[in-house]
Amino acid sequence: MIPIGTDTRLRVGMVGAGGIANAHLPAWLHAGAEVVVHSLHGGHDLVARHGAGEVAASLDELIARVDVVDVCTPTDTHPEIVFAAAAAGRHVLCEKPLALDPATAEAMARACAAAGVQLYPGHVVRYFPEYVALQAAVAEGAIGTPAVLRFDRCGARPHRAWFADPARSGGIIMDQMIHDLDFARWLAGEVETVHARVSDSAPGTPTGVVSAHVVARHRGGAISTVTGTWARPGTRFRYGFHVAGTDGLLSHDSAADPSLRTDTGAPTDGGGDRLLPDVSLVESPFVAEIREFAAAFRGGPAPRVSAADGVAAVRIAAAANASLASGRPEAVEPAEVAA
Amino acid sequence: MRIGVMSLAHLHAVGYVGLLSGFADVELAVADPDAAQRPPGESGGRAFAERLGVTRYFDSYADLLDWGPDGVVICSENSRHRELTELAAAAGAHVLCEKPMATTVADGEAMLAACAAAGVHLMIAYPVRFSRQFRALQAALPALGRLVAAAGTNNGVLPTARAWFADPVLAGGGAVMDHTVHLADLLDVVLDGAEPESVHAVANKMINATARVETGGQISLRYPGGVIATIDCSWSVPEHYPTWGGLTMRLVGEDGIADMDAFAQAVLGFRESTRSPLRLDYGTGGDGAMLAEFVSAIREGRRPQPDGESGLRSLRVVARAYESVRTGAPA
Repeated sequence: MIPIGTDTRLRVGMVGAGGIANAHLPAWLHAGAEVVVHSLHGGHDLVARHGAGEVAASLDELIARVDVVDVCTPTDTHPEIVFAAAAAGRHVLCEKPLALDPATAEAMARACAAAGVQLYPGHVVRYFPEYVALQAAVAEGAIGTPAVLRFDRCGARPHRAWFADPARSGGIIMDQMIHDLDFARWLAGEVETVHARVSDSAPGTPTGVVSAHVVARHRGGAISTVTGTWARPGTRFRYGFHVAGTDGLLSHDSAADPSLRTDTGAPTDGGGDRLLPDVSLVESPFVAEIREFAAAFRGGPAPRVSAADGVAAVRIAAAANASLASGRPEAVEPAEVAA
Repeated sequence: MRIGVMSLAHLHAVGYVGLLSGFADVELAVADPDAAQRPPGESGGRAFAERLGVTRYFDSYADLLDWGPDGVVICSENSRHRELTELAAAAGAHVLCEKPMATTVADGEAMLAACAAAGVHLMIAYPVRFSRQFRALQAALPALGRLVAAAGTNNGVLPTARAWFADPVLAGGGAVMDHTVHLADLLDVVLDGAEPESVHAVANKMINATARVETGGQISLRYPGGVIATIDCSWSVPEHYPTWGGLTMRLVGEDGIADMDAFAQAVLGFRESTRSPLRLDYGTGGDGAMLAEFVSAIREGRRPQPDGESGLRSLRVVARAYESVRTGAPA
């Protein structure tokens, strides 16, 4: 591991230049980092769009030039990049999910630990202010012990083709709903079993509307339902939660107007990429996330999310995917890496 | 037209009495002979009926039925629905029965048989069907395209005004028995009476842990054609919350998404001297339209909806949910 001096700027190498890279790059700049980008497509465009950063011609060159590698590529490519970064002694921020299966995620966490580098999964929902408020209140006992929880996430279907390929993204549960599975675990503890269902209006195509739900039993007795939807193009991103505890409840819906709402999208996507929610009215959760990781990479306090959390989230999502196949509740494998 | 209310055990009876009193062509009578068996402090009987403005009260169900009602509204404890339905049907009275129609599928089937044999209608009280909110949702359905998924919630406080709601025998269960059926019934409407292929449910008793029945429940359903649905039926609303709870439903279609909140119409505020939130619900709910359907169906000689068959379908969802909770596997 290369020691990172406190008097020099953190050097960050971003791999990938897609949707999430557009959120991470400004957050790294905000954290005072120097950014180098390597991507098979769009690296120069990304740098030009944000007016900062340089482009590396290869992954090897990128790794050689930086202290931290930020993995913003399709999920199936996460492991090889994380292994390469760890082997070179670089800290890693890896977008969620860490990997498509628990064994690989576990191996990534182990490789980073063995190399003495830090690995953090990009479970950015832990940095969204409404979720931060929820977690802080629950942690101080504001609603007693969480007992019955619901989480929902709904946005336009990602238009990049790899999301539609389960072999690359793991499907909606592994890609999108893992945010809420991670959060449910954070609030209500380890998950014992999950049962999942999915519905796709055009199976086998990249254009259908996809909804899934996961019903989880936590070891402590709480129950959680997580619902997720990849909706038609143009659908606004929305999310919410309803957490009932033994002494109260907390709930939130990002779209507030209640009696009846309809959202029929738009005839065309309008060219906008709505992969990510509009966070213009709050401090960017990506800024908050990356500021915390950047401080940790410099020897600061441990962030609120760990590599073990990232592995645990993959375990839950993988068990949910197994339930889709079996039609039955599936046990979530116990963690091998201590949280 | 003569309408009798059998039992005031279910406090919905209070609202029904008030609404039926306002129907110009309805003569109303009430019998609540089981009031004395209720726990101390629970209202009922002649004095309570008179306080509600009832002028014709009978001391027994037999006397009420001898009066010759055209229809009866059964507001007893769930486990007594069958017995009262059979009494009313034998007397030739059409039946509007509180939900859930019974605590077992066998009882529900017996109620259907009794009403069919007597040639009387059996209607089950699902007022949300009649709400303006659900009607607006139905009107929005064509814009949603082919249905992909649904998510429903019916959360409320632990019912305490009537102890039988949390009595495993009289109610037949807890939150799963009390609250699942409303959403199951709305899905029954949206999906044209389709019954789920698979029901998976989990339940717990962490909130109000001293209750004798489950207070938390989450149900996962798959319908023919692949539509999936969730129902959160929990009694998860704190006792002193500004409102009793509510009911919401989201429908996700190929062409769009609609969200309904059946009890969101309220003026919100705060009262300083009591340091408490103010909530002025102004929605009218579906009770009036539901009672009008029952009365007009009797007058017109047609079958009212939701009928006993649909009530039995939603009861079957509950029975399968309990089976899934028991076995841990989908039912």
